[in-house]
Amino acid sequence: MAPSDITAELKHLKKSPGFWKETWSRFRKRKLAVTALLFVILMGLAGLFSPAIVGAKPVVCYYKGHYYFPAMGYYNPTWENPVFNRDKFRKRYPVNLKEKDPNSWAIWPLVYQDPVRRIFENEWPGRAGNPTSEDGIPSWLRKPSEETPSQLLPAINLFGTTSNGIDVFAQMVHGTRSALMIGFVSMGIAGAIGILVGALAGYFGGWVDAVLSRAIEVVMCIPTLVLILALLAIVSRPTIWHMMAVIGATGWTGIARLTRAEFLRLKQSDFVAAAQVLGVSRFRIIFRHILPNALAPVLVPITFGIASAILIESGLRFLSFGPEGPSWGSLLKEGRSNYEMWWLIVFPGLGIFSAVLAYNLIGEGLQEATDPRLRDGGRD
Amino acid sequence: MLLRSASTSPVWLLVFSLLLCGCPSAPSNSDGPASGDSTSSSTGDAAGEMPEVLLESFDPPTLEELNAKVQWESLPVLDGMKRFLDFKKENPPLVSDAEALALKNTGPEQNKKIVQSLGRPPANSEEVDWDATFNRHERMDAKSTNPILGSSVAEFDVAELTTPSLFTFDWNFVPFGNDEIIKSWEVSADRLVDKVVLRDDVTWSDGKPFTAHDVAFTFQTIMNPKVPAVAVRSGTDELRWVHAYDDHTVVFFHKESLATNTWNMLFPIIPKHIYENSIKDDPSLGQSDYHIKYEQAPVTCGPYEYASRDRGKEIVLKRRDSWYMHNGQEVRRKPYFKEVRFRIIEDSNTALLALKKGEIDEAELAPDQWVSQTDDDEFYRLNTKAMGTEWSQAYVGWNLKVPFFADKRVRQAMAYAFDHEEMLNNVCFGLYEPGQGVFHPTSWMAPKPMPTPYKQDLDKAEDLLDEAGWDDSDGDGIRDHEIDGRTVKFEFELVVASGSDTGMKIAQLLKSNLDQIGIICNVKPTEFTVMQELARTHKFQAMTAGWGTGTDPATNKNLWTTKALEQNGRNYSAYSNPKVDALFEQGEREFDRAKRAEIYGEIAKILWEDQPYMWLYYRSSFFGFNKSVRGYMFSPRNPFGYNPGFLALWKPKG
Repeated sequence: MAPSDITAELKHLKKSPGFWKETWSRFRKRKLAVTALLFVILMGLAGLFSPAIVGAKPVVCYYKGHYYFPAMGYYNPTWENPVFNRDKFRKRYPVNLKEKDPNSWAIWPLVYQDPVRRIFENEWPGRAGNPTSEDGIPSWLRKPSEETPSQLLPAINLFGTTSNGIDVFAQMVHGTRSALMIGFVSMGIAGAIGILVGALAGYFGGWVDAVLSRAIEVVMCIPTLVLILALLAIVSRPTIWHMMAVIGATGWTGIARLTRAEFLRLKQSDFVAAAQVLGVSRFRIIFRHILPNALAPVLVPITFGIASAILIESGLRFLSFGPEGPSWGSLLKEGRSNYEMWWLIVFPGLGIFSAVLAYNLIGEGLQEATDPRLRDGGRD
Repeated sequence: MLLRSASTSPVWLLVFSLLLCGCPSAPSNSDGPASGDSTSSSTGDAAGEMPEVLLESFDPPTLEELNAKVQWESLPVLDGMKRFLDFKKENPPLVSDAEALALKNTGPEQNKKIVQSLGRPPANSEEVDWDATFNRHERMDAKSTNPILGSSVAEFDVAELTTPSLFTFDWNFVPFGNDEIIKSWEVSADRLVDKVVLRDDVTWSDGKPFTAHDVAFTFQTIMNPKVPAVAVRSGTDELRWVHAYDDHTVVFFHKESLATNTWNMLFPIIPKHIYENSIKDDPSLGQSDYHIKYEQAPVTCGPYEYASRDRGKEIVLKRRDSWYMHNGQEVRRKPYFKEVRFRIIEDSNTALLALKKGEIDEAELAPDQWVSQTDDDEFYRLNTKAMGTEWSQAYVGWNLKVPFFADKRVRQAMAYAFDHEEMLNNVCFGLYEPGQGVFHPTSWMAPKPMPTPYKQDLDKAEDLLDEAGWDDSDGDGIRDHEIDGRTVKFEFELVVASGSDTGMKIAQLLKSNLDQIGIICNVKPTEFTVMQELARTHKFQAMTAGWGTGTDPATNKNLWTTKALEQNGRNYSAYSNPKVDALFEQGEREFDRAKRAEIYGEIAKILWEDQPYMWLYYRSSFFGFNKSVRGYMFSPRNPFGYNPGFLALWKPKG
């Protein structure tokens, strides 16, 4: 065989897929996990664009010669232009826009509802106000009233209303933002701390390991919920960021332990020895060589952590702690004291359940896709 | 009939009941408007830690000297039940029992029919089932059977039926002498001395006669700093001395000549012959074997006596024959029930289930239970329900020390900005009447005419704010004002008790209303005790809370006078108005009811104008009653907190 043939053949050989690519291709084969991932992405989009899906402020409007984006006020109240608080405009758009500037136009969210207040009659011209208490059943289940057929169009409440007439769908959609954010941010913090601590402990061993391991054990003893409750009592105005910080600052121990174990294993391997012989800096060895290889098992507790952070958030709101704003947990709390209003329990309950389930499925999918024992013994 | 004990206890009752039942409706837990001034309660608290002399010795004049010195005026000694019966004669049933029982309580009209018809007294004694048992709901166990150690609603509910009290009050909170215990009641012209003559046919449950010495001894015991009678002591400590001249004559000496003196004499009485010698060994009244024995089987003097007690489950009282029979003669009215069982059920949902199953005969309902869990056939199978307005007030209090709320116009603007209608109809299910100031329109001290409740008017609110200088000068959409050369944004914090759903909803509503006129209101749910501390130290900007039903309007001085503010009373809003101070002084020293009503009406008018609170609504009490129960009527507190109250309840035969 001529040498040129060999090189040609070598050229034709596909580059062997990297670890992540391989994982992804295996992950992709798990329908459940992929569905869960899609669901989470969808939920993320819903959260991100919540003011465009449901809200009582136009996404874009043209008013007195200028363009405005009042819906941004849902992210941060100061992002709503003050012009809408002047001249008795009072942040009530549908009627005032036309009244104060006949040439104005607006692009409205898909559903005109508000997550923090009740929509009143004729606030949207010709549409009825939100029903309250037991009349707040989801609008597609309402029976047309036999009495006086109203001149007004019925209110649209996809998931019903709370006992004082606030739309459940709006609260669900806007609550997605805080639910997802708390999961991502808190686990981001936890992941950063956990990986760093685990990596240092595992790589250096010795007294560094001893100290850091004890630190992990100490932090493990702190009950997150109690710490959050204490914090909420101290901080004068607790925000969602405080909660994230606490969940993140206490939830990293599992991640740290797994990282440490991975590092203990990997630092014995040949490629690390080779790197050391070549005189690569320790920093580079830890973060460039070992970490990418150790990351797979760490991702699993992070995904599960996101799920549990969502649960903690809902739990706190259920106990009426935590910052203001719409959330799934506070809806559940309302449902507890009004148990005949089933929609207050079913929809947010399903929301929490499916979000947590999705993260768990993703975590499980990741675990199976990365763990050689599982993946070889598995169905595929 | 033996109603409440110390003058403050009616107020304390509410404090505790709301605290413990998680506050069915007030926007936050309430706290009574408190009688007795703050100094007295602080000594009461301190006594728990460090025994100090609470009572300086007093050398009472002899009866002859006293009689020679003072001009006695006779005060009413009445039969509370007779007053009730007379009242019922004037207000006969509107419909028959059967019709009333078939009604569903869906509105004020039905409610009136139910209360007035089923509230009837028995037509004759044949109609009464004298062997009936009444199963009464209690949210928690009584801590002690000794009435002077009571501090919460449970102890006072039981004490009401087992303990004698010389004075009592009716459903309008008018105090009078209790003719079941006393023969006559006289007061000196300067209102500094009260002389009471007891009846000679009253006995304790162990057969010993009830005497004036018991009264004087109880007073000494309550004022003994080593005895943990803190709740009963407040109010009682306003008395200078109580002296028994003979077995039947007891005289109360007051420190000052005040219209509220009567309330201070309303303490429960314990038997001297039981505790006289043992109190030295065990001032806690509950630790020595001897005291434990009497804790388990107390000697009482009311229409009912203890039959048995199962801690945490139930307290059983039985009718005491020696109460209404004396030497073979019926000297007092026979209590209607053979047995009264206090069933202790903490959770209100469990209590409602027990009511539906017929295990208890009455239960207080939370507003949401009233609206949505008691309107089905399952509830009406065995029960009916009734409601009554209380004189309690729910409010948003502004801290007048904070620059935002120092100006009256701003506070009025707040009242105009708030959507009262939405609150009444939706947050409160249309069950409450709109707030019209410190006194309830039906109370005797209410101003005439009553002020009109505020209605939402954002234009007016904005005008008032502009006028007060709170306009949006920098054009950022949020109102601001220059204070001491600094531009201050109108952004304040509203403190709400975290356990109160209604309070949270009201706060959210106010927040969204204020958002429309360029004011940022941050709602801060706070634990109730923390909130109380913030309120007491004036470290809040605004808070929603409520006050329970006070007995005498004079108790409001603790909420509104400059003195209360200086002495760290409950003037949370830091309100100070010399005119109001003077009127409170005047009201306390005036004994004519009509004139007092005028004075307090004037106070209410001034307060309404000044709006240190934004008054939200008057709370109502909601009760479910078994269909077999008759004779209930609502006082400004609830169906029980007056004379005859519970003792008017009965069950028909069959």
